[in-house]
Amino acid sequence: MADLFEGYPVGVAWDEVLDADGRPREHSAPLVDALRELSPEDLDVRAAALASAFRDQGITFSLSGEERPFPLDVVPRVVDADEWDLVERGVSQRVRALEAFLADMAGEQAVLGDRVVPRRVVVSSSAHAPAAHGIVPPNGVRVHVSGIDLIRDEQGRFCVLEDNLRTPSGVSYVIENRRAMTRVFPELLATHRVRPVADYPAMLLAALRAAAPEGVLDPTVVVLTPGVFNSAYFEHSLLARLMGVELVEGRDLVCRDGEVWMRTTGGEQRVDVVYRRIDDDFLDPLHFRPDSLVGCPGLLNAARGGRVTLANAVGNGVADDKLVYTYVPELVRYYLGEEPLLPNVDTYRCEDPDQLPEVLDRLDQLVLKPVDGSGGKGLVIGPQASDEELATLRAQLEADPRGWIAQRVIQLSTSPTKTPDGIAPRHVDLRPFAVNDGDRVWVLPGGLTRVALPEGSLVVNSSQGGGSKDTWVLARDEVVAEGETTHDDLLPAAPEGRLLDMGNAVLADQQQQQQQGRVTC
Amino acid sequence: MSWRLRIRHTTGYAYDTPVLASFNEARLTPVTDVDQLTLEAQVVTSPEAEQQRYWDYWGTQVTAFDVHRPHSRLVVTATSVVDTADARPAPVVSGWDAVRSPEVRDRFVEMLTPTERTRPDEEMVVLARKAVEGLDPHDAAMAVMALAHERVAYRPGSTGVATSAQEAWSQGSGVCQDIAHVTVALLRAVGLPASYVSGYLHPRREAAIGQTVTGESHAWVEVWLGGWWAYDPTNTVPAGERHVVVGRGRDYADVPPLKGLFSGGGGHRLDVTVEVTRLQ
Amino acid sequence: MLSRVAESLYWLGRYVERAEDTARLLDVHVHTLLEDPWVDEHRACCDLLGVMGVPVPEGPVDARRTVQLLGFAPGSTSSIVGAIGGARENARGIREAISSELWESLNVTYHSLRVQEADAARRGPFGFFRYVRERSAVIAGTIDGTMPRDDGWRFLVLGRSIERIDMTARLLWARAGSRAAGAGWTALLKSCSAHEAYLRTYRAAVEPERVVEFLVLDRLFPRSIYASMLVAEQCLAELDPTAGRTGVDNAARRLVGRARTDLEFRLADELLADLPALLDRTQTTCSTVGDAVSRRFFHREATLAWASGSST
Repeated sequence: MADLFEGYPVGVAWDEVLDADGRPREHSAPLVDALRELSPEDLDVRAAALASAFRDQGITFSLSGEERPFPLDVVPRVVDADEWDLVERGVSQRVRALEAFLADMAGEQAVLGDRVVPRRVVVSSSAHAPAAHGIVPPNGVRVHVSGIDLIRDEQGRFCVLEDNLRTPSGVSYVIENRRAMTRVFPELLATHRVRPVADYPAMLLAALRAAAPEGVLDPTVVVLTPGVFNSAYFEHSLLARLMGVELVEGRDLVCRDGEVWMRTTGGEQRVDVVYRRIDDDFLDPLHFRPDSLVGCPGLLNAARGGRVTLANAVGNGVADDKLVYTYVPELVRYYLGEEPLLPNVDTYRCEDPDQLPEVLDRLDQLVLKPVDGSGGKGLVIGPQASDEELATLRAQLEADPRGWIAQRVIQLSTSPTKTPDGIAPRHVDLRPFAVNDGDRVWVLPGGLTRVALPEGSLVVNSSQGGGSKDTWVLARDEVVAEGETTHDDLLPAAPEGRLLDMGNAVLADQQQQQQQGRVTC
Repeated sequence: MSWRLRIRHTTGYAYDTPVLASFNEARLTPVTDVDQLTLEAQVVTSPEAEQQRYWDYWGTQVTAFDVHRPHSRLVVTATSVVDTADARPAPVVSGWDAVRSPEVRDRFVEMLTPTERTRPDEEMVVLARKAVEGLDPHDAAMAVMALAHERVAYRPGSTGVATSAQEAWSQGSGVCQDIAHVTVALLRAVGLPASYVSGYLHPRREAAIGQTVTGESHAWVEVWLGGWWAYDPTNTVPAGERHVVVGRGRDYADVPPLKGLFSGGGGHRLDVTVEVTRLQ
Repeated sequence: MLSRVAESLYWLGRYVERAEDTARLLDVHVHTLLEDPWVDEHRACCDLLGVMGVPVPEGPVDARRTVQLLGFAPGSTSSIVGAIGGARENARGIREAISSELWESLNVTYHSLRVQEADAARRGPFGFFRYVRERSAVIAGTIDGTMPRDDGWRFLVLGRSIERIDMTARLLWARAGSRAAGAGWTALLKSCSAHEAYLRTYRAAVEPERVVEFLVLDRLFPRSIYASMLVAEQCLAELDPTAGRTGVDNAARRLVGRARTDLEFRLADELLADLPALLDRTQTTCSTVGDAVSRRFFHREATLAWASGSST
């Protein structure tokens, strides 16, 4: 049988599965063994089954108004338990530091006074939201949900590429990818002990309920979506469904005298916690864009009055601004007194007059990112850019140095991926999701592995030809982490020998007739 | 000598088609600080509405209210009684280092960064820099204010609420709001932190006690000269006992007296009256 | 439940029913045209389009054109394809409120329509009609088996019942012109899946009076106007448990209740003579009930467009 890994090149970048000599890494051996059992045709069949499962369920994202599936690669990414331990602690640490930073910025601003971060960096962020000043979150949490984008560099170290503290999306793919893989590739899953991801909605709901305004004993939580035309609508709907709460649009809500209500068939019903998936700019036309039709006027003042909780908080974007990102390791030390567990990628601050000339000199060797772009929008990879593109970039940088950061080109790690020409290495990143309920920051064991499907591409975003992989975090042998489903036996084994009811007379008659028939012939 | 002033500011919206709901924020309550003491302040609306009060990021008191029944007219009346103080002498500043140091620049970055309404064009920058050549910060500030006063003639009705500093500058006319925007833009262009101030002005220097006169909403500026100093470039006087401060910000958009949203696509007409009475 | 969600469920119910009924109707219509050598094809097609409220295009109208308009016109919810698209669009906006199986069966149906349509172009439309009927049954079965009997289900069933009343009335309209017994009335029964039930009930030949009686008044046949009204009325009663000891202050419920009692105490013999007026009233009831439900439950205010104002 042809080996699926035959001719698999190693050494381009750190490979998640094979080491530099082409041997499986220790934790990948079961995966490689299992895949070697398969023929290319087998793999094709599974891949087709995955694709049709996604299409039938309507698991799509919208791009320019068109519904597109987010391709799921048939080969999972396996993360070893020890490595995940580092990711988990590192992400949690980072979120705690960023929470502390946001709280400080809303309060005494000690971090500015102590000159850890220049004031100009914060107030010049496009996400800086003076309109949200004075909103005090009931349980102190502003980053209820976050997605911290990690990559693995050439040495195999996990580094943070960016933080997402506004309305990070992608967790629905984590949940659905697992469901699809379980159905389509059960025997592969069975060869591993993989930590479940299905607890996410319950953890999120618990965190949202914990964030309810004071004195509300049984809070009503809703998910606020911009509507079906939003690229992440599928996710909004899935989360509402799995949490068992209403999915509302701006027009379903009405703010009155500082309280928020939703219009229901039985009249208006009070809302206590809004998990909003609408950007700050569109959330409340009274304070932000007055032409927003998807938001609801009065939300911000209701939150200010402490009558409703907005999750995530408004103005979080200040902490995930890409220029502020460069200060996060300092923030970890400043607020937590700890060394960062996950390093940043080395980054130039173009805004710094001392660093700009070097960036301009090496434009063709660096990756340039707009500070408030997301989804890879506006990103320029120097070595792949034309002279013309570089000239435009240079002009943009000189005109608005605050608008850009620069990083060296990192060869993201690769992972074996099904391509039209068989299994080949493709670059991947990892977005773990964290939920903060005020007592602790819980990191979903899994996260979204995005994969750049075109050969050699370093851009993993779904809008730029990216797909995803199911991310399998291996369980430790003995421990089942808190909050994860355990399979305690609720019932003793069923007693044996209990037969099914025998059916009705029609069948009995037929059997008799057949027997009679046999006798006569 | 300080004055005590009573202000009554009435804003009426008349809608072409009845409005089903409206959401509003009023910034009509004078501040209390070292130079000014607000003794009484209230905002009354018709139709009546529950009010929410808070202090915004810039330190201005906001009265938020929403109306949820059909109405064709909305009237907001703000009354206040305020003790004001004489104009203060400009702070003595030792030199440019004191106002342009990295620490000062970082601390007042918001008051040094151009906004949409206060972005100067090239001519403004060139002329402002030329006007301050060789001057110390105080004289530079005075020179810039004089430049603004000279280039933008006070002409009511020549601009609108959304006019930018550049537009007022190039047409050479505007109201107090535009002159303040131009002044702020020029001060920032020469590296002096400057903020836009919104408030009221008693029109008469020698006001009789107890007499009610028609006043106006007014705008002027504050400039950092080692300490904040308030100056009224429209009237070329330091702001003093006739000036009542309601709010300070980067420009008008941070301190609009009234802003709101209403349902329905119809137009509206606006009428505003301000009455001021010197009480003592 | 959210008013917007209730509205979507109501329309989801209506569109699925519409797609199914239209498929039944077209199936029988095309069969009749093929089987009856004397039929005036143009006139029969124009009549059908008229009854379905679809503008009759200029020029000769044949069966193909009719199937095109009522089967495949993509933008219009008067066509099967359009109605399924409408049902799916409504479901897409309320996926958290329906079972994933229901969503999937709608979504799968929607995505396979293109293939089915291409098939119909090659092999004739009957496979397509059959496919739509079968998928409707799957969808109905999924609703039945996966949705809790809460208000959401009631809105869906209410929509389905109202649509069914309306469609049955339209089917009867299509035949009310011809008094003669014969193929047309059998076709009518078939398009309601009522032929066999009719035969078992009356054990007699197909006669206009009895067909009308069966389709309008039968208490047990689920597609009769009376039976559908009963279901709609019950949904409305359960949706509004506030009713007191006297009277009914829910306009929709009152309208349906009146229409139903009006039918209930009617003599079967007068039915045929009075049929046009009766069908007209029934259709008016459907649309006024729709409006009343919308006012009572959906609270669709004039879409709020916000204008901003500021002053100096």
